[in-house]
Amino acid sequence: MTDDAQATIEAYLNRVRGRLRGLSAEDKREILEELHSHIVDKAASSAGQTTLAVEAALASLGSPEDLAREYVTDELLSRAEVSRSPWHLLDSLFRWASMSLAGFVVLLGSITGYFLGAVFILVAALKPFHPETAGLWFSQDVTGDRTFSLRMGFGTVPAGMREVLGWWIVPIGLLVGLGLVIGTTQVALWCAQQYRSPRTMRHRR
Amino acid sequence: MNGHLVAPEPTGADKWEVQLRKGCLELAILAALWSGKLYGLEVLRRLESDSDLVVSEGTVYPLLSRLKALGLVGSEWVESDAGHPRKYYTLTPTGRKRALEMAAIWARFSSSMSRLLTPLVPHATPTREEADNL
Repeated sequence: MTDDAQATIEAYLNRVRGRLRGLSAEDKREILEELHSHIVDKAASSAGQTTLAVEAALASLGSPEDLAREYVTDELLSRAEVSRSPWHLLDSLFRWASMSLAGFVVLLGSITGYFLGAVFILVAALKPFHPETAGLWFSQDVTGDRTFSLRMGFGTVPAGMREVLGWWIVPIGLLVGLGLVIGTTQVALWCAQQYRSPRTMRHRR
Repeated sequence: MNGHLVAPEPTGADKWEVQLRKGCLELAILAALWSGKLYGLEVLRRLESDSDLVVSEGTVYPLLSRLKALGLVGSEWVESDAGHPRKYYTLTPTGRKRALEMAAIWARFSSSMSRLLTPLVPHATPTREEADNL
């Protein structure tokens, strides 16, 4: 293989490597070595080991950015199939977010969803300890603005608020909280799947 | 399927076809590995030659990694005459079981779809030559 062809392969693999942030060193090494062997084999099978053949092989692999992204989203999906834990999902989402806008939006949405879910669950869990102050509170000021607030029960409740759900906050809070956590996981996975789908196959006509 | 579109605009049916092919890819890879170990490029060639599934290369390698993470395939590096090692994939027992399950679902599904589609696709029934070859 010519030096030029070697250099072209190295440049491509370096760009892939740069985008595989967060994967373990072992995973990265395996991925890059496998791609290297694919490129060399593919080039050898067509026009020999010239720069031209290498470039053709790289073109059919797609851009290094797309390829790396596919590895990262695939890793996200396989992790989610093994474990549905929000921590694993968020960890993978952080990685996805660092390389695409779509990932960033999904990450923000997921953090919001998990945060709201956690708040509902916490309020429900703290109600027995702060029976007088924890729960869903409601107020309406003189201008007619309505405010709902979820209170964990630390500190005192501002004057003019009344509690809405009473002890019902315990089952309702748990249900809504769990629903939000599960729903957020589902939506994030769905987004990752949608994102993956368009370039999976090309058409033969 | 027979060259009527040179540069296909993505229509509703095209998008559907992409989704459909995508849905089959996992089973297609497991099936390609059914009779023994293959490395990535061999998997790609098997898919192209045996199934008319034209697959984007940039999809198959990440998917193989995913199948490995799921425990459906295993891998080993083997030295080759080409002077560099190749990563060979094999089905794990879990992978064999999954492939059988998926194949059974596929067979049921496709035969009931074919029945339903007979009036729409007159040529879907075997031609005389095909019937003779059976």
